[in-house]
Amino acid sequence: MNQDVLIEVKNLEVRFPIRKKKLFSSEVRQLRAVDDVSFNIKRGETVGLVGESGSGKTTVGRAILRAIDPTGGEVIFHTDGQDTDLAQAEGEELRKFRQHMNMVFSEGSVKLSSMGPDRLRLFRSKMSLVFQDPYSSLNPRMTVRDIIAEPLIASGMMKDRDAIDARVRDIAGRCKLNLEHLRRFPHAFSGGQRQRICIARALVSRPDFVVCDESVSALDVSIQAEIVNLLKDLQEEMGVAFLFIAHDLSVVAQMSHRVAVMYVGKFVEYAPTERLFFHPRHPYTHALLSAIPQADPDVEFDPIRLEGEIPNPLNAPSGCRFHSRCPFARERCSADAPEWREIAPDHHVACHFAEEFDFSRPHS
Amino acid sequence: MLTVENLSISFRTDEGLITPVQGVSFSVEKGKTLGLVGESGSGKSISTKALMRLLPGNSTLSPETRIRYTAKDGREIKIDEVKPGARALRKLRGGEIGMIFQEPMASFSPVYTVGNQMIETIRLHRGVGKREAREMAIEMLDKVGISNAPERIDQYPHELSGGMRQRAMIALALSAGPALLIADEPTTALDVTIQAQVLELMRDLQRDLGMAMIFITHDLGVIAQIADEVAVMYLGTIVERGPTRDVIRSPRHPYTQGLLKAIPSVDKLHDRLSPVPGDIPSPTERPSGCPFHTRCSEVVPGLCDRTIPDEISPSPARAVRCWLHTEEGRSAA
Repeated sequence: MNQDVLIEVKNLEVRFPIRKKKLFSSEVRQLRAVDDVSFNIKRGETVGLVGESGSGKTTVGRAILRAIDPTGGEVIFHTDGQDTDLAQAEGEELRKFRQHMNMVFSEGSVKLSSMGPDRLRLFRSKMSLVFQDPYSSLNPRMTVRDIIAEPLIASGMMKDRDAIDARVRDIAGRCKLNLEHLRRFPHAFSGGQRQRICIARALVSRPDFVVCDESVSALDVSIQAEIVNLLKDLQEEMGVAFLFIAHDLSVVAQMSHRVAVMYVGKFVEYAPTERLFFHPRHPYTHALLSAIPQADPDVEFDPIRLEGEIPNPLNAPSGCRFHSRCPFARERCSADAPEWREIAPDHHVACHFAEEFDFSRPHS
Repeated sequence: MLTVENLSISFRTDEGLITPVQGVSFSVEKGKTLGLVGESGSGKSISTKALMRLLPGNSTLSPETRIRYTAKDGREIKIDEVKPGARALRKLRGGEIGMIFQEPMASFSPVYTVGNQMIETIRLHRGVGKREAREMAIEMLDKVGISNAPERIDQYPHELSGGMRQRAMIALALSAGPALLIADEPTTALDVTIQAQVLELMRDLQRDLGMAMIFITHDLGVIAQIADEVAVMYLGTIVERGPTRDVIRSPRHPYTQGLLKAIPSVDKLHDRLSPVPGDIPSPTERPSGCPFHTRCSEVVPGLCDRTIPDEISPSPARAVRCWLHTEEGRSAA
C-alpha cells in the first residue's frame, strides 16, 4: 500500500425524493441517505465500511461508482498514469485500449460526480463491484467464461476474442478457478465458487478500485475465510483498492487497513483498523463492538443496550443523530450536530465529547 | 424431553436416492438449549423439520429412526410413527413444538394483521374466547419487548421494522405455549445490536417460561452465548457433541477445530484467516467412510476413507465421531 490518494470523497450527499400521493396533490420529502460524508481511499488500500442496515453504507459505495447519482458533493478519482504496466502487460493487441486509457490518464484527477454517461462508461472499467448474493448476480444462461468476459466487452475495452480469452483465463487462474470451469454454467457451482466467479468478473478489467458490498456475508465461515484470503492476495498482486462494505465487524477487522463506521447517513468514526477496534472514541462504535457475541464461553457477553432501533432517515434526530440511543447523551447532543474532526493523526470522529471517552479494549 | 436416535432422511430425486441426514442422535432436556452448528447443506434444518414432520413428500425416514417426545401432559409421543394428517400432529405443531425462522416475513401472512394471526393461534391451541385471546396476544407482544403493544397488535407485518418483526414472530410462536422451541437461524439476518437484543430476549424468555430450545446457527459466537450443549454437524452427521464450554475450549473433532480456527475475531487482528481447506462435497457425491476425510488434515489413509467411525465418548457427556479417538485410529496413525 502506498500513500497516494486514489479516491477522494468530499461532502458527498445522496437524497432520494419520497413521494407521498394524496388525492389531488403529492407531497415530496427528501430522504437523506448519505449526508455530508468526506473521506479518502488510498491506492491499494482496503477501507472497511460498517453500520447497521439502513445506515447508507451501500449508497456510499454506489454513489462513488456513480451507479446512483449523488445529489451533492464531489467524488474525485485520481488517475495520474501510474499503472502504465497495465497497458504493457497485454502488448500489441491492446493498442486500441491503450488509446482509451491514455485519454483517461491525461486527465489527471477526474471528477466522477459530474461526468456524462459516455465518459463514465470508460471509467467503469477502472472501478468495479462485487455483490452480496452470488446466486442472483450471475446470469444463469451465460457460461462462466462469458460472465467474466462481459465487463471487457461492455466497456469496449477489448474486442479481439483471443485477447479476451487470454485475459479471462489469467484472472480465472488467479481466482483459483480452473479452465474447465469456464465452460460451465453458474448453476454447477457452490456459493464459494460463485463468489470467486463474481470476483474474477470484477477484476478482469484490472480496475484500480472495487466496491465489495457484503461480498462475504452470505457465506459460511470457512468459505468466508477463504474468500477474505483470496481478496487479500489479489490486492497484493494487483494493487487494487477495496471499499469493503459489511455489517459483520469481525470480517472487516481482518480485511481492512482503515475502517469507517456509519450511522443514519453520516460517518461517526474513521480510523486505522487497530485504533478503531481497540481504541474507539465514539459511543456508537463502542456499542457495536460490545454487541458481537464471541466464540468464547468465558467472555462475559454484556452488550451495551441501545434503546430502540435505528431511526428512520426521513426524520433523523436533531443534533447528533445518535443522541436518541446514546447512553452518554447530554443536553448539547440534541441541539448541535457534532463536527467531523481529526482527534488524533488519521483518526476522525464526530462526537462532542470524544476526548472524554476512553473505550479501549485489551488485545488478546 | 426429546430423544432422537438414528435419524436418517432420504430424498428421491432425479439423480437417485440421496441421504442428506444419516444416523443423527441427540436429546434435549427440559429448559435447556441445544445448539446445532454446521455449514449450509450440513442437514441442520432438515433434521429439525423431521421433528415436526414437515419434510416434503419425496422424503422418507429410515426404519431405524426413533423420535420420542414427552408432551406437556406427560404422555410420550412417537413422532416417527405419527401418521401424516393425524390430529396428534396438529397438536404437536405449535402447541408442543414451536418454530421460528430466519425470515420473519415467511411465517407471517402479509394480508392479516399481526394480532389477527396471533389471536387465531391462541384460540386454536388454548381454547379461549376472542377477547381473552386478544389480551393474551397483547401481553405476549409486551413480553417480547414491543413497545405500545395495544396499538402495534393491529399493524400489518410490513409495517414493523426488521427487529420488531423478529420479536413479533417469537411472540407468535410462543403464544401457542410450546414446551420446545426450534429456532432456525433466528438472528442471522439481523444487525449486531438487534441480534444482541433478540438473544437477550430469548435467554430471558427461556428462563421465565422454562422452555427447551434447539438453536440452529452457523455462528459459533452465538452458540457460545446461548447454548448449554452443542452438536456440530457435517454432511448430515453429528461429528461432535457435548457441553458448549467444553466443545469450544477443547474441540476433539478436526472439523470442529477447523471451524473454530476459521472464525474471524474482533479481539485479534490476523494477517490471514485459516479456512478449512476444500469445499463441502455435494450430497450426491457423499464420500465413503468418514464424510470429513476429504478435507481432514489428519486423515488416516486406509481407515478414514473406508469405514464410517462410530460415535465414541472420550469423556463423560462428550461424544465424537472420529477414528483419531479410537484404538484402531491411534495405532494406524
